[in-house]
Amino acid sequence: MGAYIIRTTLFKLATLFIISIVSFLIIHLAPGEPSQIDPLNPRFTKEDLARYRAAFDLDKPLPVQYWRFYKKFFTGELTSLKDNQPVFGKIWRRFLISLPLFIVGTIITWCLSFPLGIAGALRRYSVFDRSTTFMSYLMISMPSFFLAYILIIAVVQGFTLPLTDYRVPGLEVSVLGIETFGRGDVSPLFRINDRVWHLVLPSLVGAIGGIAVLSRYVRGQMIEVVDSDFIRTAHSKGLDEDTVNYVHVLRNAALPFVTMFGLILPGLIGGSVIIENIFAWPGMGRLGFEAVLARDYPVILSLNFISAILVVIGTFISDVLLVVVDPRIRL
Amino acid sequence: MLIKRILLLLPILIAAALFQSYFWVPTFSDQTKGGSDERLRQFITGSIGDAQILNPILHADTASGAIVDQVFDGLIDRDRDLSYRGRMAASWKIYEEAFFVPHPEGPGAEALVERIERARAQGGAKWLENVEKIEAIAPSEQKTAIRTPPPKGGKKPGKKEILIAYPERVKITLKSVDQDLFKHLEKFLGEKWVAKDSASLIKTKLPEPLLPFAARRVKLTEHNPIIIFKLRRGVRFHDGHEFDSGDVRFTYEAIMNRKNLSPRVPDYEPVKHVETPDRFTVKITYKRLYSPAFGSWGMGMLPEHLLNAKKLAEEAKQKGKDPKTFSLRDSAFNRKPVGTGPFVFKEWRSDELIRLARFEDYWEGPPEYHEYVYRILPDPLTQEITFYAGTVDRYGAGAHQVERLKKDPRFQVFSGLGFGFTYVGYNMRRWPFQDARVRKALGMAVNTKQIHRYVLNGEAEDITGPFVKQSPHYNKKIKPLAYNPKGAVRLLHEAGFRKKDGILMKDGKPLAFNLMTNHGNEIRRAVGTVVQDAWKKIGVKISFTQVEWAVFIRKYVNQLNFDAVVLGWSMGLDPDLYQIWHSSQTNKGQLNFVGYKNPRADDLIIKIRQEYDLAKQVRYAHALHSIIAADQPYTFLYVGKWTALLDRKIAIARRLKSGKLQPEKIRPTITGSYSFDFNEWLKFPAVPRFEN
Repeated sequence: MGAYIIRTTLFKLATLFIISIVSFLIIHLAPGEPSQIDPLNPRFTKEDLARYRAAFDLDKPLPVQYWRFYKKFFTGELTSLKDNQPVFGKIWRRFLISLPLFIVGTIITWCLSFPLGIAGALRRYSVFDRSTTFMSYLMISMPSFFLAYILIIAVVQGFTLPLTDYRVPGLEVSVLGIETFGRGDVSPLFRINDRVWHLVLPSLVGAIGGIAVLSRYVRGQMIEVVDSDFIRTAHSKGLDEDTVNYVHVLRNAALPFVTMFGLILPGLIGGSVIIENIFAWPGMGRLGFEAVLARDYPVILSLNFISAILVVIGTFISDVLLVVVDPRIRL
Repeated sequence: MLIKRILLLLPILIAAALFQSYFWVPTFSDQTKGGSDERLRQFITGSIGDAQILNPILHADTASGAIVDQVFDGLIDRDRDLSYRGRMAASWKIYEEAFFVPHPEGPGAEALVERIERARAQGGAKWLENVEKIEAIAPSEQKTAIRTPPPKGGKKPGKKEILIAYPERVKITLKSVDQDLFKHLEKFLGEKWVAKDSASLIKTKLPEPLLPFAARRVKLTEHNPIIIFKLRRGVRFHDGHEFDSGDVRFTYEAIMNRKNLSPRVPDYEPVKHVETPDRFTVKITYKRLYSPAFGSWGMGMLPEHLLNAKKLAEEAKQKGKDPKTFSLRDSAFNRKPVGTGPFVFKEWRSDELIRLARFEDYWEGPPEYHEYVYRILPDPLTQEITFYAGTVDRYGAGAHQVERLKKDPRFQVFSGLGFGFTYVGYNMRRWPFQDARVRKALGMAVNTKQIHRYVLNGEAEDITGPFVKQSPHYNKKIKPLAYNPKGAVRLLHEAGFRKKDGILMKDGKPLAFNLMTNHGNEIRRAVGTVVQDAWKKIGVKISFTQVEWAVFIRKYVNQLNFDAVVLGWSMGLDPDLYQIWHSSQTNKGQLNFVGYKNPRADDLIIKIRQEYDLAKQVRYAHALHSIIAADQPYTFLYVGKWTALLDRKIAIARRLKSGKLQPEKIRPTITGSYSFDFNEWLKFPAVPRFEN
């Protein structure tokens, strides 16, 4: 185990180093320049543009830029080109905003996928199974922005039931942003619940795609295990149905999902651009997106590198978790 | 079975926990009714993007501009009719000091002064009446530095100090700026009035190739326009500190400080120096005639007492940064600005909202609204929904929505023309675009009405030249090119083109070229398609390509490597067209990329930027407009219209003597700007009815 940890650490450090070079090159190869440098602004002279480039180190050769960038990254001195704010402070504030969305979304995804998948597997080809399968594919195919729009309009303004004249009234409440806008001082209870309410729609929209995929996955795994020999043995031992299904089948079917747990980690930093944009959440996804639009290199590269680090850590955790839960595997 | 129960119960519990929160959330009507007084005194506006930097000398994006305009005040601004209006400047005066070096073989400065004085005493010429004072000034020396080409093997250009020795000069103070003064003088004093050899005044020994560069620094004649601002007394910053001339000088110096990387540098580069004769007087001297510079004093003024070198050094120390590299750009001020404007900065939650409160001590009296909130709503559809729900007061309608929303009784509608236009530009260095007839014919073949109707849902108008259509500089007498494909073919025939197999040919060459625009702009793509179709119909062999923006600009436009482009300019109200239309700006990377060269246009462009008298400037602009319209270097396609919706309950609140508030209809300015009286706006509990 000790040797394994040392080996993988070294290997992963090398991976990170390569990622840092590649992502740095890709950003600089991409067309465009930081929005502060606008070559089409009729009032900028060549000297002005040169001054900007020099201030942002953009006039130096790439290796020098690379060295300076990562030196600042590791000393925490990196500042955004847009507003000269420290990059890590910016990322941290946005992280705290995206975090609840991520947590609630993940909880919904995992808590719904398992019951759905298991039920589908146990009642294979029943009406329930077929309709969840249908819904899953529908949800996988539906773009999340479209779903988000439909949900917002339906919830806020209401909708007319298809094929009838019956109008379902809208709820006429705020669903955008992280809390109801313009509410003065209210008791913490109201405030907390208000924030929870504002989590419902975006996390639901974010989770739906995940539920659709994950529940299919669970169903597949369950079916695979149900058909195996040791389950037949369990049945023939005379164990009752529930024990077989929830102890023997589920435990074995759940193994691959343990590894998936580690891979959720990078999702922490990504945020969701589309959902945060539509629901006006000032989170990580928006930060990254705006940074890309403005070619704010320090923010883009920092987000990229941090998520690379998280991927590496995530895979490591997955590996270790698998060893813990599956005694057959040894490192 | 425990696991089974957990698996079933958990989702139900979570759903219950989430959905119960609905009962704690206020509905929209609760929000607008309950505590309604507060909501009526609040103006909420939505924006797609967040502000970047709340500093009048540093920001370059519209969102920051919107906030900065509320928090900061300038010395002047534009009145309802676009003339200048004093804000923090109570009054101003513009005059001129001019200098010239007399011809060495002439009678000398003293004698020239005497001659002019005598003529002035006799009266007569108008330009002489404009002379306030004339004197000979003693010889003086001036040190300045020129840039030299990089030394062998090096890359950075060098610097060389030179010494210029001016002999006795004549100084003339004028009551108002006169760009023709030296022409009058030449007429009056004869040919040998001014020295011609600038190189002889340079006292430093220079190698031959550097001489012409140094000679350019010698000013044999010099116009120095001067602006004197008298500042309003008793104007206070939000922290109570009184605003004075020191703040104006500080703001200017902050812009020119290279460390701050201010994008405003080009506006203030023509300033020679800023002086403060007393606490409430600012004297600005310019290096040369440049009338657009006046408008730059509408920029927000910074508080010196919060941002001077000492304060910045303290801040740097506190943050553990090197005071030498710490600039205004790094200061926390940019996230919590202090100005003299009608609203005080309160709170900024990144990508969520910016909150301002009214400034009780505002010099013009506090605004009616107590709060100004800038919400960031990045998605157009959610912005629309929040507007309908009443939690945003203003909405910019898209062209496709105007038809529908105009009729909505809940809203009041404002619309106007944008400051900009879309055009097809021809590369006049290439065959066959050198011929004005070809350019005109191509323009005549395009039905612009069709573009307005089908591409822009009718939300556009014709434009015939390069000025803002609502400004006095725009020549309204010029008619747009009429759509006439037959006439276009006739004109091309005149230019020597003959149809062969449906394609126009001249000297065995087909009329074939490529039209380009950038990717990602749907409107430009559609415009390009319409134009392509129109040209095909008259027998032009035309291809249409789209390229990613940065590549398009760098590889094609800046390298002058294109036949024709669909592009747009957004403009300011200022009529200075130097960079886009002057013949000196046709090199690679410059903005006259179509290569338009017309000596008469050049002359007018220079005259316009040197003219301080609006009536004369307008006359020059009209002449320039008609020259450009005749030359057709661009086919001017359209100027877009914008439409904004406001809640109908918002109106101007006039305070009557009785203390009552009387609603008055919001009246837009001549450019269509409806927020001119924003400080008097208020939301009334019900839709107000207006008298008369």
